[in-house]
Amino acid sequence: MNRVLAERVLGEKWLLPQLDHLNHAFFTTRSLMLQQCDACGNIQHPPEDICRKCQGFSLGHFESAGMGTVASVVVNHHAIHPGMKDAVPFAIVLVSVNDAPGLLVVGNAVGVPPDEVRIGDPVRVIFEEAHDAKNDVRLIIPQWEVFR
Amino acid sequence: MSQKSAICGIGESQYYKRGESPHTEFQLACIAISAAAEDAGIALADIDGFVSYSDSRNGPTRLASALGIKNLRFAGTTWPGGGNSVAAAMQIADAAVRTGYAHNVVVFRAIAQGQFGRFGQAQSGSGGVLGGSFAYNGPYGLMTPAQQCALRTAAFMHTYSISQEALCDIALACYANAQHNPRALKYGQPLTREAYHASRWIVTPYHLYDCCPENDGAAACIVTTAERAQDRQTKPAFVTATAQGNGPGFGEYTPGDYQSSFYSAVAQNLWNYAGLKPADMDVVQFYENFTGAVLIAMAEMGFAPPEGIEEFVSGGALEGPAAKLPFNTSGGNLAEAYIHGFELINEAVRQIRGASTCQVASVEHALVVGGPGYAPGSALVLGASI
Repeated sequence: MNRVLAERVLGEKWLLPQLDHLNHAFFTTRSLMLQQCDACGNIQHPPEDICRKCQGFSLGHFESAGMGTVASVVVNHHAIHPGMKDAVPFAIVLVSVNDAPGLLVVGNAVGVPPDEVRIGDPVRVIFEEAHDAKNDVRLIIPQWEVFR
Repeated sequence: MSQKSAICGIGESQYYKRGESPHTEFQLACIAISAAAEDAGIALADIDGFVSYSDSRNGPTRLASALGIKNLRFAGTTWPGGGNSVAAAMQIADAAVRTGYAHNVVVFRAIAQGQFGRFGQAQSGSGGVLGGSFAYNGPYGLMTPAQQCALRTAAFMHTYSISQEALCDIALACYANAQHNPRALKYGQPLTREAYHASRWIVTPYHLYDCCPENDGAAACIVTTAERAQDRQTKPAFVTATAQGNGPGFGEYTPGDYQSSFYSAVAQNLWNYAGLKPADMDVVQFYENFTGAVLIAMAEMGFAPPEGIEEFVSGGALEGPAAKLPFNTSGGNLAEAYIHGFELINEAVRQIRGASTCQVASVEHALVVGGPGYAPGSALVLGASI
């Protein structure tokens, strides 16, 4: 069972994703849901209206086991937004997903201090839950936990 | 299209710290365009085309009316992005002039962030939602060009064992060259390696000095046919070649190419069109919104292999008019002014004319490389001979 963080990494008031036809599964499921072409099986991210491999329009989802490796990491120190002041410093990672080789997913790294996250670290998916009051929808946002 | 085009005039406003311009953005645009027309020796009324970047707030109809243009007959912009469009804007003007759609095309960029807000700040309000492609990044606090370029740079540095000193070398070269240039906002403010390392982190691996400031100002040039340019009062800077584009996969997150600036495709097209190679460039202007992006683009443009790029830029190899590779001789975005890279075009023209404050001896070819890290990217070679 995929776990849920006690609180959002960047704070409860931090910006939320706007759901649309492409990202709905990614941000509403307590699993790492990646877009997959029904015709050729290609897994792609970010989702698109068309399969980037066979140009098919029939696109479903692949439920990843949610294990990955840090492909790049930076530590953000400068609050670029007033709502970020209490969250800095924090780590932004690009994760190479083990069962979907060839694509990367953005997230924040938790589980170790931001400046201790390294390229090559193993990570597993963990989720933030949030309520988008404006649109009255429940969101489940993938994040990444470093484990060694 | 055998006829070539050439830049026959350049101009700019005074450059200001962000928010300190006494003029509106539109006034800054008019100042730069008027200066370029005067430099070219043509009447404002005879300008017949405008090209700028995709999000320009200073449209051709308003400019044509304000400047008394008699016959506006060409207008175009690049696709979205920013400094990646520097040379792509030149390509549009080059095409317009060579086909005869227009004869005196102004290419320009004007930004007054004090009037219109900043690029480097997240624009959306707290408690809001982020749609489209922002949905995959913004909820994680990934929102600015600095952060995006930092992620690519971190992967590049890891793969090729590049140290922080290589980033520092880029910043030091820009600041050193700006000390020759009274237009530069960092004129009289030299940077040391110690001060670089002591400066605060913005987003690793970028210190404060790895990031260009945000400024107010405008720069413009006038593109005409090579034949007309040769009749003008100033020495023409011939448009030898332009290229724009990107390789496959930009916009997706793909591990193999993630650390790329996607300039390999631009390089291949540029060198093919020009019939030239990196070693033929006497002076180069690389868009440096952030230092790390320069290292990646310099490698992809073919100046050195990525694993050798740190050695290539070290030891003052980019500093001054007699450098191994004279680079960003006006100070560039980091130290002259951030006019979204357009100041780099005007500096390349000055080098061709022999009129730079950091003049390289006998310049035959000058390279301008647009902003790496965003696509489509673009590059331009200017020549002293047709």
